[in-house]
Amino acid sequence: MTPGQVLLFAVGGLANAAYLFIVAAGLSLVFGALRVINMAHGSLYMIAAFVTVVIGNQLGASLGFWGGMLLAVAVAGAIGGVVEVLVLRRVYGREHLVQLLGTYAVSLIIAGAVRIVFGANYRTIVSPIPGHIDLGGYSYASYSLFMIGAAIAIGGGVWAMLYRTNLGRNIRAAVADPDLLNATGVNVTRLYTTVFMIGAALAGLGGSIVAPSQAVGSSIDTDVLVLAFAISVIGGLGSITGSAVGALIVGMVISFGLVIPATNPFALAFVFIIMTAVLIVRPRGLFGLPES
Amino acid sequence: MIRLLPRSRGDRVRWGVVLVLFLFAALIPPLAGLDENLNPDASSRFQIFLGTSALVLALWAISYNLMLGYTGMVSFAHAAYYGVGAYTVALIFKRYHLPILVGLAAAPFAAAVVGVVTGLVAQRAVRLYFSLLTLAISQLLFSLAFSWYDFTGGDNGISVTLPDQLSDYTTLYYFTAAIVGVCLLLMFLLVRSPFGAALLAIRENRQRAAAIGINVKVYELAIYTIASLFAGMAGGLFMLYQQQAYPEMLYWTANAQPVVVSLLGGTGTFLGPAVGAFIYVVLDNAVSKQFPYQFDIILGAIVLGVVLAVPGGISDAPTVFLRLRERFHRGEKAEAAPAESSGEAIRLFDVRKALATDAIQAEEVHPGQTLLQIDHLSRRFGGLRAVEDVSLEVKQGDRHAIIGPNGAGKSTLFNLITGQLKPTSGTVKFDGRDITGKAPHVIARTGIGRAFQITTIFPKLTVRQNLQFAMLAHAGYTVRPIGFANRIFYAEAQELAEAVGLGAWADLPAGQLSHGDQRAIEIAISLALGSKLVLLDEPTAGMSAYETDKAMELVRRLATERHLTLLFCEHDMSVVFSTARTVTVMHQGRVLTEGTPEQIRRDPDVQKVYLGELEQEELGA
Repeated sequence: MTPGQVLLFAVGGLANAAYLFIVAAGLSLVFGALRVINMAHGSLYMIAAFVTVVIGNQLGASLGFWGGMLLAVAVAGAIGGVVEVLVLRRVYGREHLVQLLGTYAVSLIIAGAVRIVFGANYRTIVSPIPGHIDLGGYSYASYSLFMIGAAIAIGGGVWAMLYRTNLGRNIRAAVADPDLLNATGVNVTRLYTTVFMIGAALAGLGGSIVAPSQAVGSSIDTDVLVLAFAISVIGGLGSITGSAVGALIVGMVISFGLVIPATNPFALAFVFIIMTAVLIVRPRGLFGLPES
Repeated sequence: MIRLLPRSRGDRVRWGVVLVLFLFAALIPPLAGLDENLNPDASSRFQIFLGTSALVLALWAISYNLMLGYTGMVSFAHAAYYGVGAYTVALIFKRYHLPILVGLAAAPFAAAVVGVVTGLVAQRAVRLYFSLLTLAISQLLFSLAFSWYDFTGGDNGISVTLPDQLSDYTTLYYFTAAIVGVCLLLMFLLVRSPFGAALLAIRENRQRAAAIGINVKVYELAIYTIASLFAGMAGGLFMLYQQQAYPEMLYWTANAQPVVVSLLGGTGTFLGPAVGAFIYVVLDNAVSKQFPYQFDIILGAIVLGVVLAVPGGISDAPTVFLRLRERFHRGEKAEAAPAESSGEAIRLFDVRKALATDAIQAEEVHPGQTLLQIDHLSRRFGGLRAVEDVSLEVKQGDRHAIIGPNGAGKSTLFNLITGQLKPTSGTVKFDGRDITGKAPHVIARTGIGRAFQITTIFPKLTVRQNLQFAMLAHAGYTVRPIGFANRIFYAEAQELAEAVGLGAWADLPAGQLSHGDQRAIEIAISLALGSKLVLLDEPTAGMSAYETDKAMELVRRLATERHLTLLFCEHDMSVVFSTARTVTVMHQGRVLTEGTPEQIRRDPDVQKVYLGELEQEELGA
């Protein structure tokens, strides 16, 4: 492998890591604050991807994508709000079993609804940022570079939200002791809804951003969910830094695993071998917080 | 000791349902034939085929429920073991050219081997992280089936052809039914056995299960392996009627089927998932052919409804119905017997009777000899020295109190003795044996019972079962996969329940009793375990003054009449001075002093420690 190829695949890995980070950060944020693993997280991602493609194509040309994205994120956030109020509120503090099954049921319902509304065919949308940059004999899609930049910006935004705003301070306080926070006059019920909507919007953002670079079909929900789980587990559930590190590892493993002929068929298997290995050595992941 | 249990109306209804279910399963082929004769559009072959698939699904779902319903484990890898079973049949047939029945015989064992190895890995984590590890394992096995093209055929899968004897639909149905029937019987015997009792105990309360001497991890691995064995059998049978194994069988979302089926039928019952399987197959066939996407939504709505509203699944319906009817009838007859306990147990506790109970005969005691010897025990959490160089001796028959202000290290010391925490340095010897750093269940078996600061019992099991299961664990019976757990030590547990004043509530779920009565159950569990030393962590916390007096009177009488050795920590000084014979004072992780209650009462250092705390509190306020 020449240095040029290594760079090419590394950028590919970064682009994978970019959208995976956005999705996993949402999953991790929700787990950190609400202690719930959202099995419907991939479904919100899928809805947003479909909305982006369908609305984007309706609006036409490159500007349509941005309109689609805006709507997609809003839709994902709104559905997240409805799910939180109707389902999640009834399962906080109950066994993990109930939480897993409850959100899993939501994912089944959304999967069915998406297939009814959008059909089972794969759909695509042209990249809103066409063209490529040539470097050292290889060309890099501009959109991949945009995805990487967007992920860094979103990561910074989430960090700033958590550590520089009132909302973030309340979220961190809720992680430590929700009852005490409630006693200080913060409406924790509403805070949870807000956090879940932010998590859902991040899933939607991930689905929307990935739409121009992948075909959008009705099974992308479980595909992305299982990768988001792997990332969250490797990095540690509840940690945004962990999500970033986990996404980098998974993105790179997939990118390099797929291009090396010997490992090509088993690229995804490597992700799960790493996930297993990390959990065995560090049961809470690389940056995970202990379970309260 | 075998004794027939009284059959309640609920039991009769349940056995009736079981009988109907078996008759229905046996009559499917003739009924399908009849239907074909009467209705020219119907195909009996297709209906028998559906019946076969329902049987296999029932076996698969019930094997899943061994974990979900009986042990409370959520696994995402169960479909993978089902797939391993199917691939075993396919590969033995296709690659090694052996008869299909050889593959069928090998399928459960192949799945069990994969199950035990991957189960060992998954067990490194608990609860949620356990579930996520099974997800990784499942995806690994899927990748293997999907990508190892030369061996597994990749996404094309592998197909087999049936031998002539089994190609007839009706024969295949009865062949499958026979194997499924045997498997169900084996699983039923297992869940009702003392081994099954240990699983229930783990599901109810892991900490308490370990404290009665059950090795939680080993039992979980055992049931995980047994569940994968039966899943492998189901996967093998799948090959007989589908004749095709494909990688998607192993994909993690494939676990939806047994989960939905278990929930549909009721995870709290043994045969519930079988009912669920038949409903699922009928629904699937009626709806999903015309409306495949609506079917997903229906499944989702069912799971959501069951999870949020009826945790027992529809098999709970008869019980719910009976309960409603009972309530209706009771409403007519003025006031029935009080259904709730009111802390009376402590008053009714009959020590003489409790100690006469056969099952809990104590070993001979030698008052004055050292029972528990702690030497230079330390435990640090990072920079915090929670327990620092503590040496302590507890004599047989003594009532030894440990006092000290909050944060003195009392609870940490208890956790070091009973194995919840491992010491940084130092040793703990009990009855001449070194128990330093041993697991909680091992320490429980040496004869140390414990009542936790927060009452720790099996809330959904009946009061009698709480005691029965403790006796089973103490006798070492929980390794037995045969025998009916509810009939072993039934009389002894009833006797003990009566002795501790809980006889009237023996059939109530322990969690419904009052706080004081639950404390009595905890003490009775320690008795049932034949513990020589009982650790009580703030035994009177949360009790009223009346309950406190009664509880401590009970504890004193127990200790005297049975030469039971007590080690307890307590904040209520009147309790300490009226009960203890020896008092150890701890302060900031160290032993400050030790002596008789009189000596401690007069000790100026002790007064300073408590006074100092008071001053600090006043300053703080």
